[in-house]
Parts: sequence; structure tokens; C-alpha cells
Amino acid sequence: MSAILELENVHAGYGPTSVLHGVSLSVPEGGVVSLLGANGAGKTTTLRAITGGVRWSGDIRFAGRSLRRMSTEEIVRGGIAHVPEGRGICTELTVDENLRLGSHLRRDGAEVRKDYDRVFEYFPVLKERRRLSASTLSGGEQQMLALARALLMRPRLMLLDEPSLGLAPIVVRSIFEIVRSINLTSKVAVLLVEQNARIALDMSSTAYVLEVGRVAVQGAGAELQGNESVRRSYLGY
Amino acid sequence: MQEFLQLVVSGIATGGIFASLALALVLIYNAMGLVNFAQGEMAMLATFVAYSLVNRGMSFWIAFPVTLVLAFGGGIVIQRVVIKPAERAPVLTLVIITLGLATLVNGLAGFIWGYVPRSFPSPFSPDSVDLAGVFISYRDLGVIAVSGLVLLCVYLLLQHTTVGLTLRAAAHHPEASRLLGVQVSWMLALGWGLASAVGAVSGMMVAPILLLEPNMMQTIIIYAFAAAVLGGIESPLGAVVGGLIVGVTVNLAGSYIPGVGGDLQLAVGLGIIVAVLILRPNGLFGRAAVRRV
Amino acid sequence: MNRIRTAPPRYWLVALTLVFFLGFPTVISSFLASEWTQALILAIAIMGLNILVGYSGQLSLGHGAFMALGAYVSAILAHRYKMDYLVTVPIAAVFTGGVGFLFGIPALRLSPLYLALATFALAVVTPSLIKRPAGLTGGVQGILVLQPDPPDFAREAFAFVTGTAMTSDQWIYYITLLLAVVLFWLAWNLVRHRPGRAMRAIRDGEVAAAASGVNVAGYKTLAFGISAFYGGTAGSLFALSTGFISPDTFPVSLSIQLLVGAVVGGLASIPGPLLGAIFAFFLPIGSNQWVPSQTWLPDQITSTVKNAGPAVSYGVVLILIMMFAPNGIVGLLRSGYVILNRRLRGASDPKTGQMPPDPQTV
Repeated sequence: MSAILELENVHAGYGPTSVLHGVSLSVPEGGVVSLLGANGAGKTTTLRAITGGVRWSGDIRFAGRSLRRMSTEEIVRGGIAHVPEGRGICTELTVDENLRLGSHLRRDGAEVRKDYDRVFEYFPVLKERRRLSASTLSGGEQQMLALARALLMRPRLMLLDEPSLGLAPIVVRSIFEIVRSINLTSKVAVLLVEQNARIALDMSSTAYVLEVGRVAVQGAGAELQGNESVRRSYLGY
Repeated sequence: MQEFLQLVVSGIATGGIFASLALALVLIYNAMGLVNFAQGEMAMLATFVAYSLVNRGMSFWIAFPVTLVLAFGGGIVIQRVVIKPAERAPVLTLVIITLGLATLVNGLAGFIWGYVPRSFPSPFSPDSVDLAGVFISYRDLGVIAVSGLVLLCVYLLLQHTTVGLTLRAAAHHPEASRLLGVQVSWMLALGWGLASAVGAVSGMMVAPILLLEPNMMQTIIIYAFAAAVLGGIESPLGAVVGGLIVGVTVNLAGSYIPGVGGDLQLAVGLGIIVAVLILRPNGLFGRAAVRRV
Repeated sequence: MNRIRTAPPRYWLVALTLVFFLGFPTVISSFLASEWTQALILAIAIMGLNILVGYSGQLSLGHGAFMALGAYVSAILAHRYKMDYLVTVPIAAVFTGGVGFLFGIPALRLSPLYLALATFALAVVTPSLIKRPAGLTGGVQGILVLQPDPPDFAREAFAFVTGTAMTSDQWIYYITLLLAVVLFWLAWNLVRHRPGRAMRAIRDGEVAAAASGVNVAGYKTLAFGISAFYGGTAGSLFALSTGFISPDTFPVSLSIQLLVGAVVGGLASIPGPLLGAIFAFFLPIGSNQWVPSQTWLPDQITSTVKNAGPAVSYGVVLILIMMFAPNGIVGLLRSGYVILNRRLRGASDPKTGQMPPDPQTV
């Protein structure tokens, strides 16, 4: 399987402080890869580097093309949907307007309508609340809205930054089920950043564990789960 | 009573003028949390452009849209050249820059057209219509119609088009919008262009009433500040309602409160600003500001 | 150690400046002396604005209004109640300071942006407000102010040095200089002691300042009061030096001129207001004298430049300074000095060489 996203020896940081010290990883076409590690290990920074939110050196290639010197807008338009930390919901706008922002660049009207139907099938609650301000949604519903909006961009790769943050376990479970089903039915590759390592490893083909800006361990999801010492020292369960 | 109603109607007409300029202020405030002190001067410059076009024999109704397009382009250029380089500076730095811009534009207009007041032709007939004993001038009605139309267009653009949607998203949530492929920086420029065009309407509507000269908008901008603050500086609807209230209030105060005629009407504008800021800083339609630590 | 080594040589600079300003009127004409008086007056007002904007972080775009208040208090006392003008100066200063202090109380409730907006509106409305109580202010006719003759001791001293008689303008110059020196010295003492530290803390973060025990409301209103005190003094002296005031003496552009001076000189610095005032005062005068002397320019252009020149140049200067040199002339000089110093001493260690000049030491 060819890789849709490849990071090669990526260094990145904010101003004088550097956060990533040479991260290399790859996400296969249509695969699910998770990025684990403690707070401050550089998980979020890795995602931000991919969509041009921080300055980086090394190389990042998406679908074979280098993302060097591309602006966030260009990268996103190329087919990467990034659901950032805190979900990036526009609380000033309604639920419907948020969804329209997801599809606003697409010109394939009929397909867009199909995608809306599919999104509302996954998240019926969003259909009920279309006209309401997004600020009235609960945390779980906002996460759903963020996922739905990302889906409407019809990306080839989704970057999800801690989708489970602040949500009740039962909501987390259903959101992850939907992510998996999106991945399976639309062949969207997923790069998942998670604190909750158990649930992330369950659905990932590959996982990388970051430690202070470097990849400390990498391997198949099941393999890492089975490795007692990795679990103890990096995953905390 | 008839006199009162007449004053109210002409107050609504001037209110529409204030509302246009206040709306321009609100658009820029929403886009970057900044009060554009140059808004009035930009409108004045656009009005001088319209004046030159009309003077060269162009009909007012052709000069009007042409000026709007030029003002729109001018607003974008100003944002790109003057505002964007300082985008990350503290807001007070930006305020001083817009004040410098106001001074500069004022001087430029004086440089090109001089300081002698000129009469600007009104496109409306000077007659009045008798509505149940209340005489209402066609000029007032025309100003109300034009301002109303422009405000409606802005509303439709912002609320019911994709450009309007991305404009609002970019203004309120630049980071999130960027991740959705919205070209935030250009949206801000577009916001400046739009504000500049909307402000130009107020200039072209007020010029036949006052005389056209570089300092023409200096008083109007104070009323527009009052309108924007009264409506809650982030609310487009508030700007319109605030504009109308300020227009009517100032008109009535000028006629009914002894001693408040002529230039002291401006003090009413100042009074409204101070009263609102102290008693109800979020205005009529604004939300309570969150204080970030 | 580093601080001492990179600090500019202040004292001899201050002494040099003083000698210059003391001796200058003895070699220039009485008319030029009166121009320099107005530049010094502007410097006093700008110092007031600097304390408010630069040190306490509250942006006022309407400081011309305080100057107007001070000017009218003095002029009315001198004209209607026949008080000695020099006695009215401190009265006007204290009165304006009191008004400014009171003004600072509602200003506490305003966000910085709203404060700028409200003070700008005040500046625009000021001329109309002055016109109205015509019985008191003389309305559009304004008030004439009699300029005092120099007292004997000053006349004799001046004659001893220059051999010519001292004019009123020159006497007013020395009065202004004296007050300017005192007020600059007071400002310097203010900013390097407790109140100055408190104000800077508020400017850099109100919540943090309050958390470390600074009386935020108290110091913010105090800054307003002090700032207005300076503005009132300047206004009072301004009426004295021009000999005539009317509502049109205090247009919005005066407030903008003050802001230009504060920004160009360098906010949050003591020499800044003096340099800024000289710049803001002589820029329009200079351009008005230079442009008509250029015979190749058509007459029409020279006449409009006279009117539009100051506005255009102020606007351009404000924009450029805010974009490229937010610390003004003083900031430029200081970083130039640091670079020069590093070159001369061959400071090889980039870590210590990079130490930024502390804007709070001067």
C-alpha cells in the first residue's frame, strides 16, 4: 500500500523553542494511524506542521507532493481535513452554516447533497439542530459537528486531534465507531492523535509513540497493545 | 404634531446616513476588533470621486455605482498596503495607524480639491409630498430608500451568500476558518472593501445636505460612532437601529431642547457615546465582552 | 553591570540640552524665540500625554481638550478677574488636573478602544463646547491675553548677556523653559519610582498588576489627573504665548499633533516628548517655508500645500512610525547607540550583546 502522507525528519517549533526533533512517520492510503504520547510530546504540533500552522524543516509529502512553502488554505484545499484541538467550531454561526463552511469549496452539487444525507445519517442530532447556533451544542455534539464538517470537505486524509477530549465514555465510543465507519466506507485515511491509547490502538493499523519530539516506539496497533513494557512506560495503562 | 412627525422623518433620513457609516465601522470591527478612525475620511474621498465624475458630465445614477466599485477597490488596497503589514501589532497601534490614515486622506483631499466647500448635486427633486398633512421631502425619502436598499444588500450578502458566510467565519474564527480552506487574509481585505463601499454611500448621501469639503465627515463620523456604540459595536443590525435612533434624537433635540441648535447637536452625539459607554457598554444588541486574562 | 555599560550617557546630555535651551534665545530673534516657546509648550502637553499613553497604557485622542480647558481658565481669570497671568498658570493646571482626575473615573469602565473613541469625540466637539457659553468664553470672538513685560532683574540679566532689551516673547520663553524643566524633572521622578512602576505594570497587564497588589483604579485615574495637569499647564502657557485664544485655537488637529509628537518622539521615554514636540511643531512650519521657496512648483500647488501639507505629512509619519519604529526617535537612537557601542567595544558574546535596551531606565 502506498503512503498518502509521509513525514521525513520533521523539525518544528514555536519561535525559539523547538518541539519536534526529527519526526518521521507515514500514513498509508485509506489507513488509520494513531499518534500517542504524553502531554507536550509534540502530537498536536505534528498535526499543525502538516497543515502549515507552525514553521518546520525536513519534508512533509501529501499524495506524493511536498507541502513545503504551502499555505494552510492551499494544503486544506488539496484534500486534508484537520479537526483541531478544541474542535474549531464557529460558535458565532449556526450548525448549518458550520456545515456549509465544510462544503463551501466544492462544486459537485449532487455529490455534496449525497454527503449531507450521509452526514445526517451518522449524526441525526445535527439535522434536528440545523438552525440553532453552534454554541448551544453540547461538547459531544460539537465534536460530531466538527467530524461532519470535515467529512463534507470530502478529504483524502483526516487529522483528528483528541476527539475524545472532555467527552463521556459512551459518547467517545460512538464517535470512534463513526470514525471507523467513515474510514471503511469512504476510504479516508485517518491520522489520529489521542490520549486515550486503548481505544486508539483498537482501531489503528499502525501507531507511533512520541516522546519529547521524537518517535520513541512504532509498530502495529495490536503489537503495541500486546507489549507490556511499552504499555507501562508510554501508554499508562 | 405635524412638525414632530416631519422632524422624525427627516431624522430617519439622516439616521440612514449615520447607519451606513456605522455599519462600515461595525464591519471592520467584526473583521479585526478595530475601530477604523479613517472610515469617515475614506467616505469623504469617495464622495469627491463621485463629485468629479458628476462634474465631468456623468449622471449621478451611473456615478453612484462606479464610485462604490472604486471605493471597494480602494478599501482593499488600503487594507493590503497600510493595515496588513501591521496585522499582528497591538490594537492601539492599529488605531493610531487608522488615525494617521484619516489625517493623510483628509490632507490628500485638501491637496487635490482644496478646502473651498462645493455644492454636491442631489439626485432627488427638492419638492415635498403631502402625506396626511405631514410634508415629507423627496430628498428625505430618496435618502431613506437608498440607505435602506444598501443596508438590505449588505444583509443579504452577509447572511445568504457563501462569500458572506466565509467573511463572517474569517472575522470571528480566523484559525478554524483557515483549516476549512477559507483565505482569511483576503477575507479581511474584502471586509475593508465592503466597509469602504458602504461608507461611501453615507458620504454621497450627506454631501448634498452639507457642503462637500475635506472636513465634511468629521461630524458625521461622531454620529456614526454614537450609532455603532449604541447598537453594540459588533452588531450590524445594531448599527442600523442605532443610526436611526441617533438621527431622530439629534434632530428632535436640535428643535425641542433650548440651546441645542446648530453645532451643539454634535454634543448630543458625544453625550450618547459617553452615556452608552458608561451605562451599557455592550449597547442594545451587543453581547457581553469576555475579558481575557 | 550590563545595564550600566549600555545605558546612554544621560547627565551630560541633559546638561547640554539645558545649556542649549538657556542660551538659544540670546542668539535668535524674538520671533523665533516665541516659536520655540510653543514647541516647549507642546513638549509639556506631550509629556502629559506620554504619561497617560506611554506609561499607563490609556490611549487619549482628545488631549487638546485639556489644553483648551487650561487656556480658558487662565485667560478668563486674567481677563475678567484681572488676576496676574502668572498666578493663573498653577490655578489652571490644578483645575485641569482635577477635571482630568474626575474624567479618569468613568474612563476606568471603558476598554482601551472605547476610551480612544470617546476622547476622539471629545476632541471633535471641544470647539463647539467652547463657543456656547459666549458670555464666559467670548464665543467665536475669543479672548485677548495681555503679555507681561519682563521684570527688571530679567531685563538686566538679558541686557548684560546680549546687550539688547528683553522682549515679552523672550520673557515668556524663559518662564516656559523653567516650567518645562520642572515638569520634565517631576515626570522623570514619577516614572522611576513607585507610581511609575505601578502604571507600567498596569499597562503591561491589568489583571497581573491587580494580582500583585497594585491599586489599578487608583493609578489609572491618577495618570489621567497628572496627564491633564500637564495639559492644563501647557494650555495656559499657550494662551500666554499666542496672546489670543478662540475655539478654533483647539481643533481636532491639535490633539492629533500631540499624538504625533508623543509617538514620533517615543512613548514611555522622558526625552521622547521633547524630540517629538520639536518634530511635530516644526514639521508643518518647515514644509510651509520650504515649499513656497521652490520656484519650480506651480503657485496652485504651493498654496494647497500650505493647507494640506501638515495633515499629509502627519498622516504619513504616524503610519510609518507605527509600522516600522514603534518606539519613535528615542527607540531608534537607543538601538543605534547599542549597536554602535557593541561595535566600538567589540562585544563578542552575542548573548550579552543582544540584551535589549531597557526602555524603563531612561
